[in-house]
Amino acid sequence: MHQPSMQQFMSDPAAINRLRAQFLAELAATSGEPALRGLRDRYLGRKSGAITALLKSVAAAPPDVRPTLGRLANELKGQIETALAERLATVEAPRHPADAVDVTLPGRDFPLGHRHPLTLLRERIEEIFTRMGYQGLEGPECEDDYHNYEALNMPPHHPARDMQDTLYLASPFNERYAVPGTGRRDAYAANLLRTHTSGMQIRYMETHAPPVRIIVPGRVYRRDNLDLTHTPMFTQIEGLVVDEGVTLADLKGTMAAFLGELFETDAKVRFRPSFFPYTEPSAEVLLGCIFCKGSGCGICKKTGWLEVAGSGMVHPALFERVGYDPERYTGFAFGMGVERIAIVKYGVDDIRMFYENDLRFLEQFGQ
Amino acid sequence: MKLVLPWLRELVDLDAPVEEIAETLDMRGFEVASIEETMEGVAVIDVEITANRPDCLSVMGLAREVATAYNAPLGHLGPLAAPPLETVALRHVDSDQVGVALEDPALCPRYAAAIADVEIGPSPSWLAGRLHAAGLRPINNVVDVTNYVMLEVGHPMHAFDVNRLAGPELRIHTAGFGRQHRSGDYRGIRTLDGEMRRLADDVLVIADAGRPVAIAGVMGGADSEVSARTRTIAIESACFEPTSIRRSSRSLGLQTEASYRFERGADISAPVLALERACALLERIGAGRARGTVIDRYPSAAVPRRVVLREHRIRELLGAPVPSQEVTRVLEGLGFSIRSVGIRDRPAGQSEQWEIEIPTARMDVTREADLIEEVGRHHGYDRLPSSFPALKAVAPSPDPRIERARLLGRVMTGAGFSEATTFGFIEKDAALLFTDESELVAILNPLSEKFAVMRPSLLPGLIDSVAHNWRRGRKDVRLFEIGSRFVMSDAELRTIAFAWSGLAVPEHWSGSPRAVDFFDARGMVERIAQALGLAADRLSLGAGDRPFLVPGRSAAVRYGDGAQNADVELGIVGQLTPAIAERRGLPSAEPVYVGEIDIDRIAAFEARRGGIRVEPLPRYPSVVRDLSVVIDGTLPAAAVRGTIRAVAPPTLVAVREFARYQGKGIPEGSVSLSFRLTFQSRERTLTDVEVQEAFDLLVARLTEAHGARLR
Ligand SMILES: [Zn+2]
Repeated sequence: MHQPSMQQFMSDPAAINRLRAQFLAELAATSGEPALRGLRDRYLGRKSGAITALLKSVAAAPPDVRPTLGRLANELKGQIETALAERLATVEAPRHPADAVDVTLPGRDFPLGHRHPLTLLRERIEEIFTRMGYQGLEGPECEDDYHNYEALNMPPHHPARDMQDTLYLASPFNERYAVPGTGRRDAYAANLLRTHTSGMQIRYMETHAPPVRIIVPGRVYRRDNLDLTHTPMFTQIEGLVVDEGVTLADLKGTMAAFLGELFETDAKVRFRPSFFPYTEPSAEVLLGCIFCKGSGCGICKKTGWLEVAGSGMVHPALFERVGYDPERYTGFAFGMGVERIAIVKYGVDDIRMFYENDLRFLEQFGQ
Repeated sequence: MKLVLPWLRELVDLDAPVEEIAETLDMRGFEVASIEETMEGVAVIDVEITANRPDCLSVMGLAREVATAYNAPLGHLGPLAAPPLETVALRHVDSDQVGVALEDPALCPRYAAAIADVEIGPSPSWLAGRLHAAGLRPINNVVDVTNYVMLEVGHPMHAFDVNRLAGPELRIHTAGFGRQHRSGDYRGIRTLDGEMRRLADDVLVIADAGRPVAIAGVMGGADSEVSARTRTIAIESACFEPTSIRRSSRSLGLQTEASYRFERGADISAPVLALERACALLERIGAGRARGTVIDRYPSAAVPRRVVLREHRIRELLGAPVPSQEVTRVLEGLGFSIRSVGIRDRPAGQSEQWEIEIPTARMDVTREADLIEEVGRHHGYDRLPSSFPALKAVAPSPDPRIERARLLGRVMTGAGFSEATTFGFIEKDAALLFTDESELVAILNPLSEKFAVMRPSLLPGLIDSVAHNWRRGRKDVRLFEIGSRFVMSDAELRTIAFAWSGLAVPEHWSGSPRAVDFFDARGMVERIAQALGLAADRLSLGAGDRPFLVPGRSAAVRYGDGAQNADVELGIVGQLTPAIAERRGLPSAEPVYVGEIDIDRIAAFEARRGGIRVEPLPRYPSVVRDLSVVIDGTLPAAAVRGTIRAVAPPTLVAVREFARYQGKGIPEGSVSLSFRLTFQSRERTLTDVEVQEAFDLLVARLTEAHGARLR
């Protein structure tokens, strides 16, 4: 290959024609992709390409001949670009069969794990409430008697705190409660395993002024045998809203919106009056059975309704205990068992499946 | 509580079908467990009564609810008597054939007794049938009458055979009091069920002249039991302090229909009424005749509580107004008396307020909110609108522990690990493999040895889960868990742990599989640290003996904060000892690698939210040099890297081991270690000469410090 010489076609239409002839001759003599790319660089290269040089010399030509030369030079540039693109397209397409792979063989395995259904569900519930403006918080699993019972209107020997149900620690354990938003870790002596997440209602209100809007997921413990439907440890989610003007109707609307999102249904939500020592009024939250649409089936025990949460208006005695004015503030609280919802939502018939961590079970869930 | 429907219909005149009545009760807070029918075709509704409503452990209590719900009059309409209930009026006397001495009014605020002459026999079939339908076993006419009245009005009673008492007196005091102050034997009692029961000091008893004859509120004694030969009975109708009954019932492990009611609270106004009802029934069924007198020890008569209810407060709590007539209708229907009505001026207009007298049976109603619940549940929660609480502020960010768990969960699944959930408590033997006994947080009353101590580590649970999968033929297991561990010397610690068995590189047609090794596990630790925003060069792994890990294939993970503070230990990583693997049901020949990192300890080092400032990208090219040195085989790579870091100019921006070789060409006991060194300046292009100078200096220093030889 030889470099096209610049002096030859300075400001001269004949020289431009010669350059065209030279390019066509070279193109005809070139084959293969690398050689074609080399040819392209020699003519069209931005630093030393022959056409680039031609366009520069045209710019320096006398004004009377410049338009004609410019037109001719640009015509040639377009011609060369098109011709090179066409030739390159023909040589780029086919590959040598030696490079071929059997695309039907399996790819390399980059294994992807699976989240636990209880975590997936917990996160889904947290996410729904986060969208409603709740702050997600966690509390300690070892509690003291005051926060788990007394402050929730369950003094010693209250029928609602059955000794059978509570697991006590053999000796006091130095726990710490990370006070949200403060970086503070308040130490206390724990003497039992929390039987519910409701103790966080007290802990949070003791350390924060209203308004309150929190959701508290966590593990809780009961002195229950492990069988098809019971487990000594399960996951609970607690919600608490306190402000001026919060009503039972707000609780109803909140529960309906939440359950509609969670079960992707517009099923009916209904309150059945109930009793929890720390709410007044108290209500069990019932969801119209998503399986039989209310006509009664095995899952809803023929009632047409599924019990999904306990709830109620915060008892005024709790407000008095934490220093809130019960005349000024009202609030609602709710609590639900994640396992129980998971059983319904995923159709699990043995609660123990959640704790065996059998990969054949876990792999049925996503990330 | 089994509610026998014809019995209910006797007290409320209703045509409504059983399903509708059940639904009505259910939606007023009395959850219906089932509707059954006896063999005689009698409908029975099984109702769950919440702990706050002992007054509804009776047909009368539920009848009051049903009557209010249907706005129907409550009365006694059945064939047995004229309304309200057939009773025998009893005359109060101070003494009778049997004396009553109330020694402990704190534990027994009221004790009433009546004497009746009886002829023991079976109950008539209608009475026996009702008891049977309600789930009680008929015994004899006298006992059946006391049980019938208990089910009807909710007040438990007990009948003594007067002639079998050792002396004509009933004394109410604790067993401890009897032992201290009275002659006789107060150590124990044979109860009606034939059991000999030892009595703790604080158990309240009913005693005759020299021994306990009943455990107050729980069960009577066998020695004074009503039998076929009984001619005269004393019927006890009393109120006991709920906590005391609960304690007795717990300490004796004995729960009865009576104790169940008394520990929830009995109506202090009920004892005499219940006696009058019982005496009337005894006469009606021809079982006997009352003497017409009652001894009623009631030292401080209860004054019914009064609570103010404000109309506007109903609206503020429920979120919708309830009409005044509805408020008074519901409350009066449920037995509350409206003592006065007032009007209050409120900014939003006038608001009525009522002073309400609470019947003594309703111990659960003590304040305004309780009355609002009564109004609300009878007005119907279905009538409430659905609304949302107003949002007045932006929710603060969630607990960082929640965010970390979410992040790590996705990082771990991205690395092929599936998430496990294991119990927070484990068996002590398993825990002791992972920590000292003094660190264990033990449970006082575990249900079984499997759940005896709080887990000091997440690993025991994970290892058991790996074993579970192995037993089912899954050998390539990657599991992780995020949760709390508990050790005495520290508080609850949020931790992430993982376990890895089987292959690290899975089988593939293109190459060989490879089993998991230490560096896979270490890589996971580095990945976790990176995900949490820790600087890779401040993470160090070194000796950290743990009896559950294989020495030489395990390490403690430490992190330095870059300041003068010593490194903090974050956790461990390494191979589980084959002995422990075998004990937990895994084959000892298969390595299981584990890691555990305390997320709570990392929290202190995490990059602060929003703290990222972008560094400008380097403008000058970097120079890469490879350095291979032969060193002693026992010298840790970290020592060589440390020396390089110490002598290199600041332009050395990265050091990475990329090859390690032992064998041909390398003397026995030595190893060839290759580092890739990257030099770069932010100010200028580095010259070959200065990079070479730095490189030569490094080699000289490595030779000096470690006897390294350039290869
Ligand atoms: Zn159903």
